[in-house]
Amino acid sequence: MLGRSGPKSDTAEAVATLESCLHQVALGDRGAFDTVYQQLAGPVYGVARRVLRDPAQAEEVAQEVLVEIWRTAGRYDPARGTVRAWALTMAHARAVDRVRSVDASNRREARVAEMMTEPPFDDVVEAVEAHLDRQRVRHCLETLTDLQRQSVTLAYYGGYTYAQVARLLETPLGTVKTRLRDGLARLRDCLGVGA
Amino acid sequence: MTAIDPEIHALTGAYAAHALEPAEQAAFERHLERCPTCRQEVAELRETAALLASAAAEPPPARLKAAVDAQIAVTRQVPPIVTATPAPAPDRGAGRPRRRWVTALGWGLATGLAATVAVLGVRVADQQNQLDQANQRDAAMAALLAAPDTRADSVPVSTGGKGMVLASRSHDEAAIAINGLTKLPAGQAYQLWMIGPSGTRSGGVLPTGDNGTAGSVLARGLGDARTIGLTIEPSGGSAQPTTTPIMLLPMPV
Repeated sequence: MLGRSGPKSDTAEAVATLESCLHQVALGDRGAFDTVYQQLAGPVYGVARRVLRDPAQAEEVAQEVLVEIWRTAGRYDPARGTVRAWALTMAHARAVDRVRSVDASNRREARVAEMMTEPPFDDVVEAVEAHLDRQRVRHCLETLTDLQRQSVTLAYYGGYTYAQVARLLETPLGTVKTRLRDGLARLRDCLGVGA
Repeated sequence: MTAIDPEIHALTGAYAAHALEPAEQAAFERHLERCPTCRQEVAELRETAALLASAAAEPPPARLKAAVDAQIAVTRQVPPIVTATPAPAPDRGAGRPRRRWVTALGWGLATGLAATVAVLGVRVADQQNQLDQANQRDAAMAALLAAPDTRADSVPVSTGGKGMVLASRSHDEAAIAINGLTKLPAGQAYQLWMIGPSGTRSGGVLPTGDNGTAGSVLARGLGDARTIGLTIEPSGGSAQPTTTPIMLLPMPV
């Protein structure tokens, strides 16, 4: 199975926990769902917010995705990746879908200024690991070429299609397609995913 | 019949980043069904993308949990897939303390790890005051996370486990979590140390959970500490370390 962070196996136990919890969730265990929520609500909400900008819409997407995790836990296939990737792929896809719907794009223009006060992560470990993830990702993004980094961040965090990225960067389509692939692959190697 | 675009393999990245137009996405998904190499690459790039998502993690509004709970209470699950050899699933969640911070910490840490809180230099966790402390700690954590100079680091503990720290000089605070420690025999305890040019001072004995392993600490008043140490001491702690440190965690700020 793909490790979430390969050589940095310090998260291996957390991954195992998420995997076994999801199995319990599939059997209707609300306590296990609380665990899954605890570990995934931050990144699910965070990625939706990064893509959509609007906290209210991010919250709606996060709610949909977290309920969907509950609903379809029994359909999760470990052969296709970790629970974290399964859940965050879903969160990112839904956020992107919203961005691309006309309704959302209109609302997106009128970006809600700044967040109201938020409760903290109530978990030191989650917080530390999120910080470490952030530091590692930031470091690894710096190892990419400018075009790779811009392509990856515009597509992933910006929610743009690669055709839109190509237009924004005034770069040929094929180049952006390739940079997205080799940029993500370089990130994968830098982050030790799947090692 | 449509000829297969030889460049279609190059779409793995755009696909993993959800950057394809719908028609192209559908075409690529058909291609995926007969390209195991592409499936493997997509899986890896999705794990990578998941780390981009993790790096964007933000605490959601507290009301989200209530909304999700209310909705799942009335949402029927699709039937679980029954496998020949179901993965062993520990009975987690049942019988745990329900206080939010305790459950959160316990769940955030590795399986079976219990956790308690001490605020160094202020007061040590006390069973009666846990809830107050949780509120106090939540506020402190929020401030710590919001500080622009907050940095994180982690190192392994030589006897097993991992030490993690999130620290800010401007806030003069560090959140320290020690995960997966080996259970100690009776009469021994783990003790934290703040080590700096002006000497070594105790960071307190790590609170011990039900199963002998222990959790996280919010340290206030970092002083000149450059390193967080961990030693095994007689229960109750020592004035100065009496054994070789099993962890030396550099203060990341």
